[in-house]
Amino acid sequence: MNAVEPQGASAPAEHGIVISRGLRVYLRTMVPADLQHFAAWVDDPFLERMVGSEFLHSYKHVWDKAPAFYEAILNDPTQVALMIEAYQGWTKPVGVVRLFNIHLLEGYAFLETILTDMRAMKRGFGIEAGKLISYYGVDVLGLRRLEAKVYEYNVLSMNSLRRNGFRQEGVLRQAGYDGERYWDLVIFGILKEEIEAVRRRDKVYLPLDPSEGNGREPS
Amino acid sequence: MGALVIEERQHREWSQPAEALVGLARVRFAGPLTAATASTLRARVRQALVSGEAGLVVDLQAVTALDAAGIAALLDARRSLRAQAGGTLVLRANGIVCRALKESGTISAFALSSGTGM
Repeated sequence: MNAVEPQGASAPAEHGIVISRGLRVYLRTMVPADLQHFAAWVDDPFLERMVGSEFLHSYKHVWDKAPAFYEAILNDPTQVALMIEAYQGWTKPVGVVRLFNIHLLEGYAFLETILTDMRAMKRGFGIEAGKLISYYGVDVLGLRRLEAKVYEYNVLSMNSLRRNGFRQEGVLRQAGYDGERYWDLVIFGILKEEIEAVRRRDKVYLPLDPSEGNGREPS
Repeated sequence: MGALVIEERQHREWSQPAEALVGLARVRFAGPLTAATASTLRARVRQALVSGEAGLVVDLQAVTALDAAGIAALLDARRSLRAQAGGTLVLRANGIVCRALKESGTISAFALSSGTGM
């Protein structure tokens, strides 16, 4: 019998393992030190309003920012959370992207992209991170469908999803609450064939086009 | 964790359920089987297929973490091996692995061995 130590298991893990590379950003595995970034991000009211991430919410309110959150994520078989690192001029991660509620046998999962640095927005980082993890979902996890939910006022995220080939599939009326009022949640989805079409189209990443959409489509 | 020690255990602790696995190639994984490491499992399965080993017992009793990427690699291994004539994949799982397979809803997809020998 052969005994195999998985690659990376004994390697220094303080910087994480790079999982996927794009032209602007790369995705790497989480390391315990990333929790210090999460601790700052969870207190950002802008992020809370724009993303309303259950991931960050859980770190703050369920785990009370405990270090054990890292192990919980590492051992969660229903999600893959990866840190977004930009190549030049950035000294810390610009966000986190994850596939969650992964149903491996059924082949679907949900996508969440969180850009945490205002300076990182409108640079294509979020689009590319979403693209990279979509490819990862298809190639590595064997997924055939991804879904994403966006607050109706988060036009930037909606346009990012559209640029990655997602289609608006519906609206959950007044399903989101920002502490002051209820908002619609817009549902986006993409199938494996459509992800492959995006991959063929973006074989070489092109400069960002002008915005293709303008918020939600009429229901 | 050297292979020689494991080979020795194989003779001393060979159990009845494990005898049914005679003839299958065996590989043991230790440490986290996650997005950072799952490629090792995939490579080992490819190697098994190239070597004509259609039956594989994967010992995961020393695995310390298992995420969706690790489970996806196991599902892929199962698919690839079962596509071969007489192909099969048997897992020897510890509590961490069993919990992950249950939580991901994939445990019914795998053949699990309760044998202690490897």
